[in-house]
Amino acid sequence: CLLGSLNIQHPGPLFLPVRTKKRHFIPPAVGMKGKKEENPEAKARAAGIVFRQQYLERPINIACSAGVFDPYIPPEGDARLSTLSKEGLRQRTEQIRQSAASQLAIRKVKEYDSQFSTKTFAEQAQEIFIEAHNALTQFNKEKLHSLVTERCYPEMTRGNRYKTIRWRFVESLEPPRVVHARCPDMVTKGNLYGQVTVRMHSKQTLAIYDRFGRLMLGSEEQPKDVLEYLVIERHLVNPYSRWRLHGKIVPSWAPPKDPVIKTVAIPGPELKPWEEFDALNYEVPKPAAVQWNK
Amino acid sequence: MAVAMSGRGVAFIRNIAGSLHMRLQVLGGASQQLSCLHTSISLDDKHWEKNNRKVYPPQLPEEPRRPAEVYHSRRQIKYSKDKMWYLAKMIKGMSIDEAIAQLEFNDKKGAKVMREVLLEAQEMAVKNHNVEYKSNLYVAESFSGKGQYLKRIRYHGRGMFGIMDKVYCHYFVKLVEGVPPKPEERTGFDQAKEYVQGLKNRTIIHSL
Repeated sequence: CLLGSLNIQHPGPLFLPVRTKKRHFIPPAVGMKGKKEENPEAKARAAGIVFRQQYLERPINIACSAGVFDPYIPPEGDARLSTLSKEGLRQRTEQIRQSAASQLAIRKVKEYDSQFSTKTFAEQAQEIFIEAHNALTQFNKEKLHSLVTERCYPEMTRGNRYKTIRWRFVESLEPPRVVHARCPDMVTKGNLYGQVTVRMHSKQTLAIYDRFGRLMLGSEEQPKDVLEYLVIERHLVNPYSRWRLHGKIVPSWAPPKDPVIKTVAIPGPELKPWEEFDALNYEVPKPAAVQWNK
Repeated sequence: MAVAMSGRGVAFIRNIAGSLHMRLQVLGGASQQLSCLHTSISLDDKHWEKNNRKVYPPQLPEEPRRPAEVYHSRRQIKYSKDKMWYLAKMIKGMSIDEAIAQLEFNDKKGAKVMREVLLEAQEMAVKNHNVEYKSNLYVAESFSGKGQYLKRIRYHGRGMFGIMDKVYCHYFVKLVEGVPPKPEERTGFDQAKEYVQGLKNRTIIHSL
């Protein structure tokens, strides 16, 4: 029996208590590794704290549509022909008569807003436009939100936070006219939004100064003739909604805008390792002339 | 031993209670926060970056053109602030192309990080701050600061220990548009002249 016991090998103890030097300072990160949190909810319930009912959904109110539906395509040479000539008159009468859909839309708008009329609305639109741009120069956010829809607001104010804008409406060259109207409905069938396009020809001065007060674009003294197609929108079903600027239509035949005062580097063509860049014979690619909504 | 244990235990419990209270507040206040859509949370806006938000009024055409200034920084770089200082002092006053070139061929670890910061700042200047030519910038100010350190134990012999700091630093840079200003050269002759002038300016007050 003794011989048998001599061959048995006992494994050593796994945890040997070792007397170490007392640590006076233990950094806070040492004990944190395996720490699992007991659920704080049970603790709260035990303590007697009651929470309000939490809703995972939230109601969202959409006050404007996402874009311009059926954008108005302005005919070429719109600004060049004056109303007085025969050609111009014919063009004008054709336009608004042709658009049957516009007439339907105007009739729908008159259902919800009995005082709507195309003649007074054009003046109203111009006033909205002027007030909105004045609010933009002062950067009065609340006033701007009431005059401009949520879709148009970021487009107007992108990159402008640290810039100073000086804008002045000199005079209107032609009386503004309503040229186009549509009444699209979003999401549900009856949720109507009215979009009316107004054409206006006016003189404006625009000067944008960057963060340091240096002129970036335009000039304050030189007014420019501007032909614009504004899209004004209103959420018809809501009785408290207002007509607000929704966007601008830039026709494909519009003249190019003034260049920025500084020189900008245009990225060149992508070259393979063996190709060389010929600076003399390189033509800058011009963007295609397409109508787009601003 | 027992006293220390209980002390730490009490602090532990207090800590837990504090974090629990905060967690409960967040849970309770979350429903209120959700109701207002337009609240924005500013995540520790530091002062150096706020300099980029300063807007000057438009200049009159007769005034000389104000040079553009761009402020940029990087926080919590894993490097020592004293070692970073040597590099920062080296590029102070250089034009940006020269500074980038020097840092590219410098062997230090901080040089790589610093070069990235300068390139970022240059791109920001051209894109956001209306700087016309990206080479027309020079480094006006560049310095390093202490970041938040982590503490660890360094074990010594005989059961002794030291607290080891894991070192972090911040790096700040200010780029200004224009040609770098030339440092004024003072020769020994100029200094001597000034010394003699100082001696000549001495007077005796309240004398006859």
